[in-house]
Amino acid sequence: MAERNLKQEIQAKLKDDIMQGALSKFAEQYPGSRLNAYKGQDIEGLRESLRAMKHDAVQHINQLADEFEASLKKRGAHVFRAKDGDAVKEYLIKICKENNVKRVVKSKSMASEEIHLNECFGDHDIRVKETDLGEWMIAIKGQKPSHMVMPAIHLNRYQCAEMFEQELHIDVPGEDIPNMIQLARKNLRQEFLQADMGITGANFGIAENGAIGLVTNEGNARLVTTLPRIHVVLIGYEKLIPTTEDAAKILRLLPRNGTCQRMTSYMTMVDGPTKVIYKNDQGKVVEEDRKQYVIILDNGRLEAAKDPVFQQAYQCVRCASCLNVCPIWTLVGGHVYGHIYSGGIGAILTGLFNGVETFAQFSDLCIGCRKCTTVCPGKIPIPDIIDELRSRYVQKHGAPGMDKTMFNMVLNDRGLFHKLLLKAGAIGQAPFKKGKFIRHLPLFMEEMTKGRSLPTIASEPFRDRVERLMKKNPSKPKKKVAYFSGCNMDFVFADTSENVVKVLQSLGMEVVYPMEQACCGKPILGIGDREAGKETAKKNIAAFEKTGADVILSACPTCTETLEETYMKLFENDPEWKARARAFCSKVCEFSKFVAQEYEKTGRLTHARGGEKVTYHDSCHMKRGLGIYEEPRALIDATPGVELVEMHNCDKCCGMAGSFGMKYQEVSIPMLNEKVKNIKDTGATTAVVACPACMMQIGGGLDKADTGIQTKHIADLLAEKL
Amino acid sequence: MEKVCRDWAKQAFGEGLVKAEYWNDFETNAKTAAAEVFRVKNFAEGEAKLQELLKEYADRTSGGIMAVGGEENPALKGIYDRIAASGTAVYTDKFDIYEHRATADIGISTAEFCVAETGSLCVDNYSYEARVATMLPYVNIVFVNANYVVENVSVACKIIGRVFDKGYLGFVTGPSRTADIERVLSLGVHGPNKLLIIAVEDFGEGN
Repeated sequence: MAERNLKQEIQAKLKDDIMQGALSKFAEQYPGSRLNAYKGQDIEGLRESLRAMKHDAVQHINQLADEFEASLKKRGAHVFRAKDGDAVKEYLIKICKENNVKRVVKSKSMASEEIHLNECFGDHDIRVKETDLGEWMIAIKGQKPSHMVMPAIHLNRYQCAEMFEQELHIDVPGEDIPNMIQLARKNLRQEFLQADMGITGANFGIAENGAIGLVTNEGNARLVTTLPRIHVVLIGYEKLIPTTEDAAKILRLLPRNGTCQRMTSYMTMVDGPTKVIYKNDQGKVVEEDRKQYVIILDNGRLEAAKDPVFQQAYQCVRCASCLNVCPIWTLVGGHVYGHIYSGGIGAILTGLFNGVETFAQFSDLCIGCRKCTTVCPGKIPIPDIIDELRSRYVQKHGAPGMDKTMFNMVLNDRGLFHKLLLKAGAIGQAPFKKGKFIRHLPLFMEEMTKGRSLPTIASEPFRDRVERLMKKNPSKPKKKVAYFSGCNMDFVFADTSENVVKVLQSLGMEVVYPMEQACCGKPILGIGDREAGKETAKKNIAAFEKTGADVILSACPTCTETLEETYMKLFENDPEWKARARAFCSKVCEFSKFVAQEYEKTGRLTHARGGEKVTYHDSCHMKRGLGIYEEPRALIDATPGVELVEMHNCDKCCGMAGSFGMKYQEVSIPMLNEKVKNIKDTGATTAVVACPACMMQIGGGLDKADTGIQTKHIADLLAEKL
Repeated sequence: MEKVCRDWAKQAFGEGLVKAEYWNDFETNAKTAAAEVFRVKNFAEGEAKLQELLKEYADRTSGGIMAVGGEENPALKGIYDRIAASGTAVYTDKFDIYEHRATADIGISTAEFCVAETGSLCVDNYSYEARVATMLPYVNIVFVNANYVVENVSVACKIIGRVFDKGYLGFVTGPSRTADIERVLSLGVHGPNKLLIIAVEDFGEGN
């Protein structure tokens, strides 16, 4: 497989101003329009009913396929089960030859894109036309769709006009969109009227009666299924559902999520062959049963359906809402995902249908912010399935060398890291320091400080302060709290760690800090290396067991999530460590949640007199990973002298996302710039965060932009007011 | 005309699912979807409204009108006959409809019931001629019983599920539309530019 230069592809897309304009406008409008389409509806109830129905369907995927096939055959349709794209093409060409097909019209089918279906017709002198306007336009220049619902969203009207000119050989002014629409109507009408065969995909297939459902706005699918004398359906196994009533569970969500409509213009169900009137070979106009051929496509689907993690991807109804809210997709567009399906679900479907190798070339593009999980109608845990695919890749091919070496040498061995930092940090960064930030780095590291300042390495790491700090532990502690700092809070934000300890001690807690603790393991688990992750987890579990603490506390939501949730899942087949992990995980608590609980007990969690404006940024892992977003706000509200003002898109990723922000600074910086703007617009003097990675990114962005706005961890804010 | 169900009211609706009280929601949502909705008392008023609309789209009548549903509905058949008598070509036979499919620019047809939640019409378009008459012309005029409204898509699919054994049906919600160029909404890309709904209160059995 050809190696891709993903960074280069991304840079090209970021320079495409037309696409950038279209995507940012869309990303801004989509969330509100979607909610508007759901007005008065119980969104969560509808999502759950879709999830449950599709989940159940995939457990019975083979039975449903048998029933669907039998229903269709009973009604006079031909059914063919295709194991892959080649089988589809071979079968289709055979049908074309048998029926003397010269002209084909298609309505949108992602499955046909997936197998590059159109390629096969050229070799046999059969004319094939896409009829969905967006698909028709991009097919003229041989482009691929950049979005499942809006295939041409990356183009502006002038670029569209060029496509028209190339196809129709006339001058087409780009200013006049209605004119283009009418030209397409006129041109494609002839294609519909003359076509021998119509090919459609299917939004769903109903097992009980063999009907397929087609959801479109243009009406092209209705023409494709009405005018030609042959109808071919290409449907993936995962689209099968039991009954007509079940279709409602898709139809109440798909248009609302996909195009922010309560219903698309046309929702059509075709069940078996229907009548068609046409001129036969003898030139006589006759009414006959249309020939219907239904091809059920496997191409990796049935294998993935057996896997409890992967099968969740079949809860997808191809609405593409996961793209619409993805902070990365809305910056880089669909084409860098390399294949047909883009965005989070696209990465997964590509992994399942085209192999983990293709997936691995762009799997970095999911930063795990979990925004998609809040809108997906089928409630698919997209980032978790992507993690699983990464892990399968690593099992097969090993972890990327550089990443792993770095991890083992540095993050997994705190002692070594400590020594390295003391040398490199204190000496190396000195000439570049300005206050608490490094604004420029020399030579090859320059990229990292483009658009953001980096925090300086703490002059005294947290671990060197522990002995001094612990002397202030209360004599009669309420609880024993073992502090897990995580890498950032040990070596970079050591002052914040110190503040964590102060706040805890003020609440009557005894704080201990096991020195043998390592990195939480997220960086290595994130690239899919579970074996290395397990070793790290064991190291941490053992270190904290020795403390006998009541609570294991972290002030980093990513570490917290890893300790609390990921460790639980790592030892499925290891009873001893599973039990130890369970005991460990049950004690883990995130800082602001813990403090809010303690405040609550003593009646302190009440509104205090305000003053200086502060705004709060929700970290992805904090809000959508841990579900913690009320507690930090309540703590700010209970802090005297500050007043909370909300920013626009407070829970949108700041662009750091672990090491992503360093590796892909070209994507990370535009995300940061948006965040900086939203913070500035509030008029706040301080941006409060609860995550050290966000603190690094946002703090760096606010410094580089000379805003004068401070960035504080919630622990810093609370400690100041003690 | 071939249909999925001969008598939707009797065989599919069931007790209490179809109610006139959902009308207002239907009307609002259909209009939001860019349909034009005209509520009339009876077929006489409906005919007057239709004549008015045909005048409005007089420049579209030269290719004739494709009209279906007359066989099942004597009132409609009467209306079609009178339009034809006044000099406009009205094609009601399926082979005539086939013959004039590329040039007739107005289609008249019927729907089975309305869906309030979405402003959709549920159409039983098993027959070839019904689909051609509703999809190829510029103007799509649909008669429906104003009392036949269901609350939402779940109820609609429940009703459909009772009778859908073979054929072709679905929802039509406003005219054909696209936003594929710069996400600008444009109507009438492949199907009709106009969806005009004439909802008749006293639909009777069409007599």
